[in-house]
Amino acid sequence: MSSKERSTVSVGAQMLSLSNLEKLLWPRDGYTKGDLIAYYRSVAPRAIAHLKDRPLTLQRYPNGIDGETFFEKQMPRGMPEWIERVTVPTPGGSRSEVTFALCNDEPSLVYFANLAAIVLHVWTSRVPALDEPEFVLFDLDPGEKCTLRTLATVTLAIRTLLAEIGLKPLVKTTGGYGLHVVVPLAAGYSYETAKVFAEIVARHAAAELGELATLQRTIAKRPQTAVYIDYVQVGLGKTIVAPYSVRARDGAPVSTPLHWAEVEGFARRSALAPADEFAKHTIRTLPGRVAREGDLWGPKAWKKQRLEGPSAKAGRLWTERG
Amino acid sequence: MAHAIWSGAINFGLVTIPVKLFTAVKADDLSFNMLHKKDEGRIKYERVCSVDGKPVPWDEIVKGYEYEKGQYVLLTDEDFAKVNPEATQSVDIVEFVELDKISPMFFDKPYYLEPTKQGRHAYALLREALAGSNRVAIARVVIRTKEYIAAVKPIGDALVLELMHWANEIVASDTLDLPGTEKLPEKEMQMARMLIDTMSVDEFEPQKFSNNYHDQLLAMIEARAAGKELPKAKKAPARSKVVNLMDVLAQSLEASKKRRSDANGKPAEAKRRKKTAA
Repeated sequence: MSSKERSTVSVGAQMLSLSNLEKLLWPRDGYTKGDLIAYYRSVAPRAIAHLKDRPLTLQRYPNGIDGETFFEKQMPRGMPEWIERVTVPTPGGSRSEVTFALCNDEPSLVYFANLAAIVLHVWTSRVPALDEPEFVLFDLDPGEKCTLRTLATVTLAIRTLLAEIGLKPLVKTTGGYGLHVVVPLAAGYSYETAKVFAEIVARHAAAELGELATLQRTIAKRPQTAVYIDYVQVGLGKTIVAPYSVRARDGAPVSTPLHWAEVEGFARRSALAPADEFAKHTIRTLPGRVAREGDLWGPKAWKKQRLEGPSAKAGRLWTERG
Repeated sequence: MAHAIWSGAINFGLVTIPVKLFTAVKADDLSFNMLHKKDEGRIKYERVCSVDGKPVPWDEIVKGYEYEKGQYVLLTDEDFAKVNPEATQSVDIVEFVELDKISPMFFDKPYYLEPTKQGRHAYALLREALAGSNRVAIARVVIRTKEYIAAVKPIGDALVLELMHWANEIVASDTLDLPGTEKLPEKEMQMARMLIDTMSVDEFEPQKFSNNYHDQLLAMIEARAAGKELPKAKKAPARSKVVNLMDVLAQSLEASKKRRSDANGKPAEAKRRKKTAA
């Protein structure tokens, strides 16, 4: 039985009481809750840039990655007053509104890590414009027998299609098997617009890529060697694993922003499972990588783009040819 | 998880642990209202007496048990209270048993137990002792006016109270016509085992499974609420689908533009609360 000692640390303007720092969260790697907190602190400014003002869902693993997990949308009970929050009406939900926590500063991030919230899921929009997504999202999910090369080929094809109509996407690992490709948006677009636009690109990409890609939502019906292009992950209340969020898998991999050149490198690799490659980015390696590379999704790379021109272009280019 | 749905105590030998009960599983069903088609008026239910055909107020309603066709025994609230099995609001632990000795069919619905301030120490003690013993507690529970049998299990930092079915609620499978273990060819068994192996995963990841019917229904509702018909079903060939979608996109861009100029500077409906640091 682990000792239940608490230690008090000062983070920014707050004194935080942390518990069970020795608790093993990754039993086969020996990483503890203390390691999780230390990781989140080391990347705090980068991580917070992407978490800030976005309604947060905590995925907690109180007993480590082998134990039970639960998703917490409603802010945790007993959450200190100084952590910001936002109340959102939820039509059709079991309660009429949900108060989400926001992770706007380092003390908040440490507080959540102390709850063993390994995975941080955030909305695609920010307070106060919660009905305007900030990006178009393609969630690229390789089948069980899909190679890194196939995944990279599909990802680069989507990038090429987007470039053809004048858009510049960014890419990150999900921390699991797949990749997230996003097109940062200018303000004022609706979820509907982002979703329909993504569907058009996905359908066109799938038609061009043939057996390499699938749009089949039912897992069992997907070819195992193909990449599933999921274009429906943007919507009111839908979430994405935040950049720099840790995942509850062996090795403690992290959702990591990549250079496009890295994806091009993957496309030249011979047979290798995507997860093996992405597992190189972990809570051990990320602090060094971030120090070297900076935030590849930072303000310099995050070009907010308009969709009117590209949509018109897509209409001309993609509905003509067969 | 805001409100406790019950508060009482765990009794365990001479130890009493005051606890509150919280919902651990919530239904995620869409709920619909019934409306009058022509004017969208809400349909109301009225309690009407079958003898005089008139509406009956709540204070004139009693409960009756039909012991024979048309013959009722009337029961009042006091009657119910009388048989109320020591309505002590308690979780009385009766025995401990290894978890895998209980058929999973018995488990009905889990709740979280949270200790009150005085109960924290004893709660932690019971949790850790249970976790170390690989056993769960079997308890008799009274919630409001009903008595239940339940298991108390340690899950993470929480003790979970899982209501169980009574033995007589479980339907025996022996009324079904099921094959026995008559001779099965080894070859076929091997294939079946192989199939299981290839479809096996190391961990059950519930988040992998989504409720497609629910999601699609919700998507349809959202689209209707936004004043738009859905793009037509999946059967259309891919190319004409893209053409259709192009129109939808054009409309939606137009709508966004309009919204932008209408709502310039209008605050969003979400309320945000910010507290300054103490």
